[in-house]
Amino acid sequence: MTTDITSSLAQYIAAQILQQPKRKIASDAPLISSGLIDSFHLVDLSLFVEKQFGVLLDDSELNKDTFDTLAQLAQLIRERQS
Amino acid sequence: MDGRLSETDQKPRTGGAVLRAALRLLAKALLCFVILNILFALAYPMPELGRISAYNVLFPGRLRLPYGDNPQRAYNVSVLNLNAMFASQEINAGPKPAGEYRVLLIGDSSTWGWLLKPSQTLAAQINRAGLRSADGRMVRAYNLGYPIMSLAKDVMIVDHAMRYQPDLVIWLVTLESFPADKQLVHPLLQHNPDIERSLIARYGLRLNPNDPQFYTPTFLERTIVGSRRDLADLFRLQLYGVLWAATGIDQDYPDRYEPAAIDLQADTTFHGLQPPTLHEGDLALDELDAGVRAVGHVPLLIVNEPILISNGQNSRIRYDFFYPRWAYDQYRVIMEKLAQARGWNYLDLWNLLPMKEFTNSAVHYTPAGAQILAAQLLPRIGQLSRIGAP
Amino acid sequence: MNLTSILAFTALTVTFGVLVLLAGERIRRYKGWVMLVASVFAVYWLQSSMPLRNLDFWLPTASLGLTVIVWVTINIPGRIAAREGGTVATRDTLATLTVVVAVVLLVGLTRYTDILITPSRPPDIVSILISLIVVAALAAAAGAAFGRRTGLLSIPIFLIVALFVIFKLDALARSASVVLRTLTGQATDQASALDLRWLGFSYLAFRLIHVLRDRSTGKLKAGALSLREFVSYVVFFPSLTAGPIDRVEHFTKDARSTLTPGVDDMVEGGRRIFAGVFKKFVLADTLAIFALNATNAAQTHSVPWTWLLVYAFAFRIFFDFSGYTDIAIGLGRFFGIKLPENFDHPYLKRNLTVFWNSWHITLAQWFRTYFFNPVTRALRTRTFANGKTLSPTVIILTGQVGTMLLIGLWHGITWNFVAWGAWHAAGLFVHNLWTDYSHRRAARAEQKALNDPSSQPVSEPASPLPYRAGLMGVVNVVITFHYVALGWIWFALPNLDLSLAVFRRLVGAGG
Repeated sequence: MTTDITSSLAQYIAAQILQQPKRKIASDAPLISSGLIDSFHLVDLSLFVEKQFGVLLDDSELNKDTFDTLAQLAQLIRERQS
Repeated sequence: MDGRLSETDQKPRTGGAVLRAALRLLAKALLCFVILNILFALAYPMPELGRISAYNVLFPGRLRLPYGDNPQRAYNVSVLNLNAMFASQEINAGPKPAGEYRVLLIGDSSTWGWLLKPSQTLAAQINRAGLRSADGRMVRAYNLGYPIMSLAKDVMIVDHAMRYQPDLVIWLVTLESFPADKQLVHPLLQHNPDIERSLIARYGLRLNPNDPQFYTPTFLERTIVGSRRDLADLFRLQLYGVLWAATGIDQDYPDRYEPAAIDLQADTTFHGLQPPTLHEGDLALDELDAGVRAVGHVPLLIVNEPILISNGQNSRIRYDFFYPRWAYDQYRVIMEKLAQARGWNYLDLWNLLPMKEFTNSAVHYTPAGAQILAAQLLPRIGQLSRIGAP
Repeated sequence: MNLTSILAFTALTVTFGVLVLLAGERIRRYKGWVMLVASVFAVYWLQSSMPLRNLDFWLPTASLGLTVIVWVTINIPGRIAAREGGTVATRDTLATLTVVVAVVLLVGLTRYTDILITPSRPPDIVSILISLIVVAALAAAAGAAFGRRTGLLSIPIFLIVALFVIFKLDALARSASVVLRTLTGQATDQASALDLRWLGFSYLAFRLIHVLRDRSTGKLKAGALSLREFVSYVVFFPSLTAGPIDRVEHFTKDARSTLTPGVDDMVEGGRRIFAGVFKKFVLADTLAIFALNATNAAQTHSVPWTWLLVYAFAFRIFFDFSGYTDIAIGLGRFFGIKLPENFDHPYLKRNLTVFWNSWHITLAQWFRTYFFNPVTRALRTRTFANGKTLSPTVIILTGQVGTMLLIGLWHGITWNFVAWGAWHAAGLFVHNLWTDYSHRRAARAEQKALNDPSSQPVSEPASPLPYRAGLMGVVNVVITFHYVALGWIWFALPNLDLSLAVFRRLVGAGG
């Protein structure tokens, strides 16, 4: 199930944020600390997560301390879903 | 794999064990520090450390000896290390160029250029004239004035400066530097007892080599910890070199200053001396002789520098803040006679400048004053450059 | 913090740490109290002297009073719950209040001795007692007004911001000084904005606003924080003067931890303090001698030396600030508190966006949490009547310009900080456009590749030669650093004309 979340997130990031639908994003690749996702797209990502998985990411959580990789974000979503 | 390695390598450590280890480390560090301090105190390399300088290497040398009470505004720091003072001066830039006729200016704050920009001092005015010596070398004056009024200080500076191979020394003096009892008042002299004692011995000066004013650091004061202020001052002198290089500022120029007093007190004493007679014994004339000997075969010009001659209140009693008329008049006579007797090149320019060419003191002159003075000196430099010329 | 106070704090924390190591639990359980008492003392001790009579006592007292008032405001239902549920929490609150009041009175009583904690002699004890009563009354009033109506918490937030503006805006600060001088009977013609230097208020205000805001959104529950934790959090002595701005839930998690701070914490803490002292008092203070300032900026006329002064400022401000942060983090470690990092090699970043993830991280994070993210979220989800939405470019521009201007203004409400903020906003926006452009270019390349059946999925934008990528990295770092370093010119100099003159001089144009 985590892999579903991960691939769904990866697809969204590649297509919507990076605009490169074919680009592969490793589940352990840093997203925020590397600057791949800037603060604007981070808000977009949180809106996507909210809509897609029904999980709320607080404004104070949109930083690399809460999650920096797809795996960590997927884990967070799963925890909050259950 | 890394994780496993560190797990097996790391023995479980209790608080006490680690504390002991930490204390051992601390003790070792402390011991090293103490040893380093003792070695420093034994060797006491402070004078030699003064030679290490970023001036003339990373940035241009200063145009005058470092002096400044307000480093943050002056970009200049007073240090008491003679080597460091000279190392930061442009004279230390390297060997003397072949085509240079080197003139050293020795004197007090008026020569150093109080309230004058480096480009306005007497040395700068002489250089601006573009004078050539009799043998065609370019006359280049170096400002070695220092804002202390003491002949002993002048002797210390000129004695040190002779290693820079001058072709001519111009020594500007004024009566305020002469009183025998104030020769050692400044820390520069007090903190260099070894140098001063060697001068006393070499030139048979009247000063007491065991004068209580001399500062002799104790063993603890010779350690790194004890010398931290001096070390910090040396370091700061280098750091302010950046701003000296960036701005060309080496003095705190106040927006306005208190002009030298024109109206004077009806006081006839001079440094506790009463009229009517100024005795030679009250003046450090031995320092003049020492300076002459220190300069040796190099031509020397002694100049009685211009003073403010007031026309204000009580100006019939005194010339200015420094000098009652009787004392100054007799001083001039003494100097004239002495110069004649010893055969010195002597120039009395005491009344060269009008009142308006003085700034905040009876010896500090304006840029125009410096120019007038330079104009008087230039022909003499030309004449003196013939001595020893082929 | 000067070297003396840092040494005193280090001595205190190391002593505490060593005692914990030796005696463990018996000492550790006093951790919260040690932190509280030390912090409350520090509020007074670190305050610098001011020309206004007794202000060096009243401003620290105001810091503590505000903290208590805000705690009551966010905690009223919790207090009631605690009373119903048990007496432990109430007892802890009473004990905390007793300790805080005792310290305040102790500081006040130094008036009658020769040992002063504050720079000048404190006011008489009756005035202090009255002030404590005023604080209690205000706390009761605030609790009654907002305690159960969290929707109204924007009012105290607004009041704190207003206080911030008064203290940071020169004209208002001068007026405030006139008012205070009238009260103390001092000459009002001497009034100056410099009269009011409220130690740590910028950081204090941000912690309070963070807590109030989280309470109003419901993220923070009433009764979640004990008074002792809260006061320790807001005025925690290591981070009182220069941050970092921790988040309260993170701080209390560490503060509550029953884990005994271990040897590793102390070794690491000691290392950080040492590194911080070296950065601040050796590197930064050395660079400070020739770092760009209003005086030397006007005096320097050569191109290379002007560059040197600019570089010196850039490194000075970094070593100064990150040195303080190191010291704060190091001190915190001895109490088992892991304060958040504020710097992460900011001058080695490849672009401005990443720079702002690594410079004054906790401040940038604060503004993202309480300004950028909510504003962006609101604009992003907004649909107009005609069904149109705002373009991302407009939203990014609004969010980034707003954030950077606010960060600028936080440093001081003057035009030069506005310019500094605008400089960074412009840089971030340009970088955003560039990223967008390169994404679109990459997308086109991908589209082309899609038509080519032999293509493989790409994981990284293909780079023809590895060393070229490395070289580009270095070039990017150098460009980013220079953009930031040049930005400091706005920050360092009080007026824009002077800053512009320095810019002209850097390129050799004009004196």
